[in-house]
Order: sequence, then C-alpha cells, then structure tokens
Amino acid sequence: MRTTARLSLAAAALALTGTVAQAQTNNASITATATVQTPINVAAGQQLNFANVFPGVNKTVAATDLLNAGRFDVTGQSSAPVTLSFTLPATLSSGSNTMPIDTYAGVRADNGSQTSGVGFVPGASNPATLSATGLLFIWLGARVTPATNQAQGIYTGSITMTVVY
Amino acid sequence: MTRGLSVLVGAMLLGVPLRAQSRPLTVTGVRGVTFGAILPGIPGVVLRTDAANSGQFDIRGPNRSQVLLSFTLPLVMTGPGGALMPVTFGSSDAGYSQAQTIGSQVGFDPKQPFTATLSNNGRGSVFVGSTAKPATNQRAGGYTATLTLTVTVLP
Repeated sequence: MRTTARLSLAAAALALTGTVAQAQTNNASITATATVQTPINVAAGQQLNFANVFPGVNKTVAATDLLNAGRFDVTGQSSAPVTLSFTLPATLSSGSNTMPIDTYAGVRADNGSQTSGVGFVPGASNPATLSATGLLFIWLGARVTPATNQAQGIYTGSITMTVVY
Repeated sequence: MTRGLSVLVGAMLLGVPLRAQSRPLTVTGVRGVTFGAILPGIPGVVLRTDAANSGQFDIRGPNRSQVLLSFTLPLVMTGPGGALMPVTFGSSDAGYSQAQTIGSQVGFDPKQPFTATLSNNGRGSVFVGSTAKPATNQRAGGYTATLTLTVTVLP
C-alpha cells in the first residue's frame, strides 16, 4: 500500500510539469477587414434647354420635363449615401448680354424615367442615396426671365454638380 | 501512520512546483482591425489608439512574467476574385498596455519581436493599427487578411 501511494504522487507531478511546459507559448489571430468602394462618376446626361424664349415672357422648364430638364447621371457604390452640391448661375450670357435665371428645382431618382422620383431644391448640400445597382439620376429645371428689351442671341450658362460619399 | 505521513510529505513537495507554475498562458483575439469603407487610390489608416477600429489581443499568464510578443503580419489583403490590396505596418503601429487600456500603450514595431511584462495579476493587452493601400484601379468589394500574435513566456 505504501508503494502504491508514492507512485501515484510521482505520476501526478510529472503530468503537471508537462502541462506547464507546453503552455509557455501561445498565439491568437484577428482579421483585418476593408471594403473598397466603387469610385463615383458623374456625367452630364442632358442639357437644360429652354429653347426659344421671347422678350418679356418668362419661361420655365420643370425638373419633371424629361426632354428639356438638365440631367446628371451618377454611378458609384451600390446603396451608398452621397451628398450633392450645386453651383447654379444667376444669369445666362450671350456675349456681354445677360438674362436672369432662377427658381431652380430638382428631381432625383434611381432610374432614367423618374419612377419614384423625389423632388428637392438644389443647393449647397443635398442628401441622396445611390440605388442598389449604384445609379442615381438628377434632373434640374429652372426659370428664365428675359427683359422686355432682351437682346436677341443664344444665352448659355454652366451648372455644376459635385457628388461626394 | 507511516502511509499518512508519506502522503503529506509528497503533497508538500508537490506544492513548490505547483505555485511556481502559476496560470497557463492564454492569448485571445478580442477585436479585428477595421478599415471600413475606403476609396481606390486613397490609403485607409487605422491607428492603434483607435478604440473602435484598432486590433486588440488580450494576454493572461504568470504574474509579472516577461513575455516575448511576435507578430505574423500579412503583406496584402485578399478581396473579390482573389484581388489583392497591400497592407503595411509602421514602426509604431503596435502598442502594449499592462493595464489593458487603449490609452496607456507603449508603442512598438510589430515587425520586430518585443519584450513586455505582464501585470501583477498576469494580464496585458496588445493593440495594433495598420494602413491599407488600395490602388487607383482597386477592384471594389470586401478584403480581409489575418494577423497572428504569438506570445512566449521568457524564462
């Protein structure tokens, strides 16, 4: 009986010592993750076109006018929220002559036919969201107010839209 | 009576090594390095002091023991279709905190082994930051890579 007890203790000591020796080095891992987004592209899809206007007669092109409203086409990361900002001219020019333009209005939609389009007032910061396929279409309308003595000519101006994630 | 004495002596002898062994060494990956959304051509940077996005490992081991910290670091992250994106680690992108707080780190180079001391209760944490470098034509999508920390208790 005495011998048996001593052998058991010796075995236990060896087993404990062995466990500690194996635990002197250990490791673990973590993961680094990143999501690369699709860059934003903005294209001028259609010019804002007032066509013929007459002195003293105001003319408006509605943002819902698919043929004459100005249109920007945006592509980018699917479902990404973006901010639109507009630089809008106060006048159109024909040489040294100018003609006022105002009352800008906008419509945004995720398709080219304005289905489920949302109206907005274009300004310095307009929120929007790209579609599930990464598309966004923006239409702009406005009003021109030619003077009664407005000089004849072709009047143009530039509208700039900036899109950021 | 003789047998009882033998058992007692045996237990006392065993008591010495048991106390010296203390607790086993464990390393736990607590949090990954998260770059979030990044754009092609624009590096994404995560600082080791970023409480939300830096990587974190927790260490438990013998009280006040010296440990050697060694990283196995990736050179690239792997994305959609096997696309690769470089990832780099600066000379102070890792930090060790005996107090296990992100605000009390001692910076070190994760590319070099670093010797640290566990706290009085055998604890410590390692934090890590990094820089992802997407190319200008980097393919869009999710990218991942694995960082491994190996800890060795020094004699």
